[in-house]
Amino acid sequence: MEHLLPLAAALPLVAAALLPAVAWRRPDAAWGWAVAVGAGLLGIVGLLLRRLLQDGPFSYAVGGWAPPWGIELRFDALSAFSLGIALVGVAVLVFSGRYAQAAVPPQRRAWYYSLLLVNLGGLVGFACAADLFNLFVCMELVSVSSYALVAAGGGRIAALAAFKYLVAGAVSSLLVLFAVGILHALTGSLNMADVALRLADVEARGPVLLALGALTAGFMVKAALFPLHLWLPDAHASAPSPVSAVLSALVVKLGVLGLARVLPLFAGLDWLVLAPLHEGLAWLGAIAIVAGALAALLQEDLKLMLAYSTVSNIGYIVLGLGLATPLAMTGGLVHVFYHALIKATLFLAAGAIIHQAGFRTLRDLRGVGRAMPWTGVALSLGVLAIVGLPPTAGFLGKWYLLLGALEAGRPGFAVALLAGALLIFVYYLRILNAFYFRAPLREQILAVREAPLSMLLPVMALALLCLLGGLFGSGPVALAALAAARLAGGG
Amino acid sequence: MEVLDIRVVLAPGISLLCALLVFVLGRHDGWRATFTLGAALIKLVLILTLLPGSLEGVVYVYRAFDFPPGIGIAFRVDGLGMFFALVSSTLWVLTTIYAIGYMRDQHDRVRFFGFFALCVSTTVGIAFAANLLTLLLFYELLTICTYPLVIHDETPAALKAGRKYLAYTLAGGALILLGTVLVQHLAGSLAFGTGGLLAGAAGQPLLPLAFVALVAGFGVKACLMPLHGWLPTAMVAPTPVSALLHAVAVVKAGVFGLLRVIYDVFGVELLAGLGYTSWLAALAAFTILAASFAALAQVNFKRRLAWSTISQLSYIVLGAALLTPFAALAAIVHIANQAFAKITMFFVAGAVERTTGRTELRELTGLGHVMPWTMTAFTIAALSFVGVPLFAGFVTKWYLSLGGLQAGAWWVVLLMLASALLNAAYWLPVVYRAWFQPPRGLEPGVREAPLLLLAPALVSAAYVLLLGVSTRVPGMPFSLAEAAVRFVSGIGAAP
Repeated sequence: MEHLLPLAAALPLVAAALLPAVAWRRPDAAWGWAVAVGAGLLGIVGLLLRRLLQDGPFSYAVGGWAPPWGIELRFDALSAFSLGIALVGVAVLVFSGRYAQAAVPPQRRAWYYSLLLVNLGGLVGFACAADLFNLFVCMELVSVSSYALVAAGGGRIAALAAFKYLVAGAVSSLLVLFAVGILHALTGSLNMADVALRLADVEARGPVLLALGALTAGFMVKAALFPLHLWLPDAHASAPSPVSAVLSALVVKLGVLGLARVLPLFAGLDWLVLAPLHEGLAWLGAIAIVAGALAALLQEDLKLMLAYSTVSNIGYIVLGLGLATPLAMTGGLVHVFYHALIKATLFLAAGAIIHQAGFRTLRDLRGVGRAMPWTGVALSLGVLAIVGLPPTAGFLGKWYLLLGALEAGRPGFAVALLAGALLIFVYYLRILNAFYFRAPLREQILAVREAPLSMLLPVMALALLCLLGGLFGSGPVALAALAAARLAGGG
Repeated sequence: MEVLDIRVVLAPGISLLCALLVFVLGRHDGWRATFTLGAALIKLVLILTLLPGSLEGVVYVYRAFDFPPGIGIAFRVDGLGMFFALVSSTLWVLTTIYAIGYMRDQHDRVRFFGFFALCVSTTVGIAFAANLLTLLLFYELLTICTYPLVIHDETPAALKAGRKYLAYTLAGGALILLGTVLVQHLAGSLAFGTGGLLAGAAGQPLLPLAFVALVAGFGVKACLMPLHGWLPTAMVAPTPVSALLHAVAVVKAGVFGLLRVIYDVFGVELLAGLGYTSWLAALAAFTILAASFAALAQVNFKRRLAWSTISQLSYIVLGAALLTPFAALAAIVHIANQAFAKITMFFVAGAVERTTGRTELRELTGLGHVMPWTMTAFTIAALSFVGVPLFAGFVTKWYLSLGGLQAGAWWVVLLMLASALLNAAYWLPVVYRAWFQPPRGLEPGVREAPLLLLAPALVSAAYVLLLGVSTRVPGMPFSLAEAAVRFVSGIGAAP
């Protein structure tokens, strides 16, 4: 039991390393191997979560070296996002079985699963890292595997998008590494709790501010916060759909979780007032909500629409962090988890539809909802959830954000949030209208068959979670409130 | 007295189950009709079994989900909710029969009847909502579920009307969400039944914003001017849908929400002190008159009905805004009076259209000679709108006038007279031409409407008469409205 925490991150990474060997003779085994690892990860995360709920946050000292000297892994309320990682991971791996056969060239298929597992392992490691260097390493594991995954499907646009993503990602990684270096030079420590303590004694204000700025900017790029989102739409839209789901649901959350991890380091400094930074984040979040929604409104391509919607939703989360009241942060953090489920539902459902129909713009896909009723229902549930209609999972984040905006005495932000939500409603209604209520433009649409079971099952399961996650949302909300209280308390 | 009772969730649940059955197994006409009619009847019986308790002031409650944590999706049946649920479930039975006749040979009947059942499920959810958030939840779901019905024909005009409908109602929903969050922020609770959630929040600077957001939000579906624009456009929908939108579900959800906001969220005492409601009353009075004038100018049957609906709904808003017991009684009872009279009119409009193909008012000339039963139903409804004694509409006008005098607003009496005259001006000429002029240009062989279309119209017309003469009969809607007023804390008993 004790060693479950390192196992959670290590299992996918080790399995990923072994995967090419497993698939050497039998390429078909790669899928089964990856799905088994995903299921194992889900089980481990479930056990970790049970322990968190019973005993509260717990740490693991790697190699028996006590922190702050050794490497510390810590499973706290923020790390509970691992559940989202595992759920989406399993769904994506199962879904990939049939999808990759068509979308990924055979010689790359083993690598594709291998990279997906590296990605998931890195994400779990990031969520559980308690020291800055591991935070950086896991972030790089995730980023590098993501660049490659975007290009996995092949094609010119994908390669270009991957390159763009690589450039933006490399810059942000360098910024974070730079800041980690400064903090280590100033405090002599990498353990986050320890760094927070020691920063209070640091007299050099310039380097501290530089580190704060570099960390914020770096994580903002990773989170694709407007106006640093330019790399996102192409990368997410041109990647294979299961990869898009991982990128949009999980990988962008690195930036947000990273911010939530590092901002408290600076909260204990009596000479540093974080309020202007919070104010800036709140404004950027509010602008991102509206700008992302407006941009999505102009898209004809289904996956591009979903990609811009991610920009908008990151805005919600950052707005919550920026408002910095307990309720607002609860809303932001609970949305980190639920947006992961919802966006994965949407991308996988869209992927299934595009895979079956062979078209990807709304015009061409008119009438497809009747040809693929089950996928259509799943997509509709996802749409209602992302719009934030009660009682779906998407409503909870908005509800607490609205209350938080009032709690902070900023009703203006509440109004902006609602305006954004309305815009989002409009562009998602376009999807439903096209799928159900418009006569098909393409004759082929009428002959489209429902997706195979291995694609349908994960999509339906996720869609059900979008609904049940709202109805039985007290657990995630309680965890988010815990994490928010810790953030607000500093350290 | 509050009693835990599972019937409270079963009532909306039955229609939900019916919708699922229709979607999955509804390809066969016979099965589909069985499901819809069966569910409608079971639900009506279920709600009727709750009636005796409601008349005595028993409140049935049930808590379903803890969403969001601490607030919850909860149901609560008090007199007001019971009244709304009873009206909508009675009308659902009639509308279902009518729709089965009307939608014969139409496309996508599975989708139509599935969403039809969902609408009624959500309407009862609205009626039984125990807190503002549950009310909002079902209110939004109602918007979503009516959309496929509005655009059922899938013509460009229908899609355009659907877009307009969504733009209005979703914006309204967003405003209600804002208001709900404000109430939660100011009062720390959203539960109904306290006679004024915000009673302790007097003097808060956000209070006016909360009032405007909630009233404007619900005002969209209640067609309070200038938020009424979606309704006349939505007339492109099939007639049973128009009936559902106008008489049963959508617009009544709006006025019901307004009643909840006034009686349960703000409370009569707080509003009397704040004085916001005098503005609301003035707006309602303006809507009553302006919409009547607009109705005069219409030549299309369904469009005139739409404007008449806008005018009639503001009776309810006015009654609530006057804050007196008699006015509250008028407001509640008019939910039923308007519903039955209006749905009769829509049934007639649809029957005439299906039988003769006629949709314009002047084309009704002489129809009394060929379709006497249909036009009898029409005449009863028209007389009720004018407010002739012994018809349902008179009861409303009488108590609304009394309520106005109670509030010291003598102009309400004049307004009732003016509105009666206007109603007479746009309905009685039609009645005259239908009965006293010879039919013109009819194809030979045109006869009375088919029974499936005619029977619901006659039953609801009979109900209009019943509502007009049975105000002293125990167990009738009027006595339930009296009970609702008596048990709404803060209004006081209507003698």
